[in-house]
Amino acid sequence: MLTRTSVIGAVVLAAELLSPPPAAAQLNVFACEPEWAALARELGGDRIEAFSATGSQQDPHHIRARPSLIAKVRRADLLFCSGGGLEVGWLPLLLRRGGRTVIQPGKTGHLMAIEHVEVLERTSSTDRSLGDVHPEGNPHAHLDPKNIVRIGEEFTRRLIATSPNSTAYFTARKEAFLKGWGQKLNEWNRRAQHLAGMPVIVHHKSWSYLIRWLKLREIATLEAKPGIPPTTQHLESLLKLSRTTPVSAIIVTPFDSTKPADWLSAKSGIPVLTLPFTVSRDASPGDLAKLFETTLTLLESAHARR
Amino acid sequence: MNRLSSAASAATAIALFLNTPSLAQSSTDIDAVRAEIRAMKEAYENRIAQLENRIKMMEAGKKPAASNPVQRTAGGRSIRDSSFNPSIGVILNGRASSFSEDSSEFAGFAVGEEGERGREGISVDESELNFSANADDKFYGSLTLAVVREGGEDKVELEEAYVQTLPDAGLPDGARIKAGRAFWTLGYLNEHHTHSDDFADRPLPYRAYLNKSFNDDGVEFSFVLPTELYSEIGGGIFRGSDFPFGSSTGGFDSWSAFARVGGDIGDNQSWRFGVYSLRGNATTRTTNEGAVTFNGDSNLYAADLRYIWAPTGNPRQQELILQAEYFHRSEDGRYSDNNANAVGVAYNEASSGWYTQIVYKFAPSWRIGARYSQLHSPDVPAGLAGSALDAADHDPYAIAIMGDWTNSEFGRFRLQYNFEELAENREDHQVTLQYVLSIGAHGAHAY
Repeated sequence: MLTRTSVIGAVVLAAELLSPPPAAAQLNVFACEPEWAALARELGGDRIEAFSATGSQQDPHHIRARPSLIAKVRRADLLFCSGGGLEVGWLPLLLRRGGRTVIQPGKTGHLMAIEHVEVLERTSSTDRSLGDVHPEGNPHAHLDPKNIVRIGEEFTRRLIATSPNSTAYFTARKEAFLKGWGQKLNEWNRRAQHLAGMPVIVHHKSWSYLIRWLKLREIATLEAKPGIPPTTQHLESLLKLSRTTPVSAIIVTPFDSTKPADWLSAKSGIPVLTLPFTVSRDASPGDLAKLFETTLTLLESAHARR
Repeated sequence: MNRLSSAASAATAIALFLNTPSLAQSSTDIDAVRAEIRAMKEAYENRIAQLENRIKMMEAGKKPAASNPVQRTAGGRSIRDSSFNPSIGVILNGRASSFSEDSSEFAGFAVGEEGERGREGISVDESELNFSANADDKFYGSLTLAVVREGGEDKVELEEAYVQTLPDAGLPDGARIKAGRAFWTLGYLNEHHTHSDDFADRPLPYRAYLNKSFNDDGVEFSFVLPTELYSEIGGGIFRGSDFPFGSSTGGFDSWSAFARVGGDIGDNQSWRFGVYSLRGNATTRTTNEGAVTFNGDSNLYAADLRYIWAPTGNPRQQELILQAEYFHRSEDGRYSDNNANAVGVAYNEASSGWYTQIVYKFAPSWRIGARYSQLHSPDVPAGLAGSALDAADHDPYAIAIMGDWTNSEFGRFRLQYNFEELAENREDHQVTLQYVLSIGAHGAHAY
């Protein structure tokens, strides 16, 4: 018995010795969604290496806890996710399996974006017959540019706490980013005035923060219950609704099934508007601002058409 | 927003009802009603907005200071961990089966009770009750009881009862120790509860070599290496009292080792490959309803491969899963078969078995799958000729085809057809209709 255990011990020891030295120059940031990887790159510059677990065409609610993600978590120095239950189907598993101490819940390296903004749509219900509800509130907080500021500030705090030697570098990057962002935000707010009151139907409640920021009017969701695919019955009722209530667009993400939106669009004549929802997985600095610009441009053109 | 939109749609529904032509009202009447509804709607919307503002203000008031990052923890979500401590989860499981063949003996293999095919007719399957929670910052504990029908009685079986270290336990990053009773790391399926299987029954190698699954008492260590590619190694020591072992003498009669690697191919494909060994000494392992006994060394080696392709990157929409496992077993000891008057016959033989399956999710709620399993029977020593171990040169095989419908991730209905020829000229056509429902907490499933 002794020999067997010592064999295992020796293997583990060998693995420890073979692992790369801990003093790697760049911090590894594991982001759950591309927007947080993009924000991390804006603020971390070349002192971080950011990876996004999901791509822009993927629904972050439902991905598999793939082996490659366990390996990424194992090597991460900072975790940057939306939180609020969005990643509950896979992130806790990755954290347990990856076994990386510094990014566990409660640690400085564990950043959940929605814990640092004003959360919409909190509910106390946990009855699954009502669908896939998030009791902690709507987790899709990144589409309000004011939230980007708050979350970015918090991320910089975490960066500095993790790597105090780079305090000056990270502070300077943050200030430069926030200054540029503030200017853009003023411009976006100007453009947003024309969109106020624009009536829209959404597929899933992916857009609540955007809708609140731009003061759009959400008439309905294609999903009768969150997370449960739209039913024919519900779509029929939306078709009836659309005859009495003007709607400018049906807003969907690139990863929503297009069938329900296309069906309603064909019957009602309301155009389907696919907004980007997020940036690409490998987004480079500047792409986050482009996300808001593109979103505004697409909404403006849909608004003008009606 | 939810309430707002439901109020709006309720108002609209009333409007539509009033709008039906059979009421034959004049257009001015309808306009008046519409105006009234609009006024009501606006009043309600204002009221709701006021209330929502109040909630927001109350929430804002309760919010801890944003400058204290370390104290925040990820909020647990009720669906995954049911707001109770410990979390409680229940799996309800039932089926109706029909078989064309009377018996389902495996030619050449000593098979335990759970390796046999299920009961014919309507039956409740293993109903599982799970309690789990973090004990503290360092340890997690889980208990799973299964109520099973065995020998005409409902029995409570202790499926799992283990403690496991959490990442904060002070072990090196990536290291983990699990102790107690658990579905240990061995191949793909063994770690998983049967309710998450893609087919209504386990493939032949699992039935013959593991009596469905290996969940002995023991302790297992695993270590995820800090490599770019996922790689993990580990091993365990077990009591040696669960199939393929018997009633343990020393209590440290079995041990295992494993290694796994895995990764992605592009954005939409992923894979994992593993090799495993489970070696040990079996003391009085009784099978075939008490007739067959084995004493000696039983060593099992396995390899598994899983490959997943999600065409759009979204496994919930569409997904193709390929999975295969290979097992090799060598046994060195003595077999007895009461039914064949064979007592303590020396035995030193090897056999192997494998299965491969493909499951395709073509729509979010619908999947189809096919599976082929095969066992290669061991040679039989002269002393066991005519016994249950005598395969008469037949290699058992089985084909399964299934289709299932998933309403949510918590409920699934499955129809499966099996064709099995486990012994020469014993062609068994089986049809099974099954449901699996999960209530309460239900953690995420592993890869």
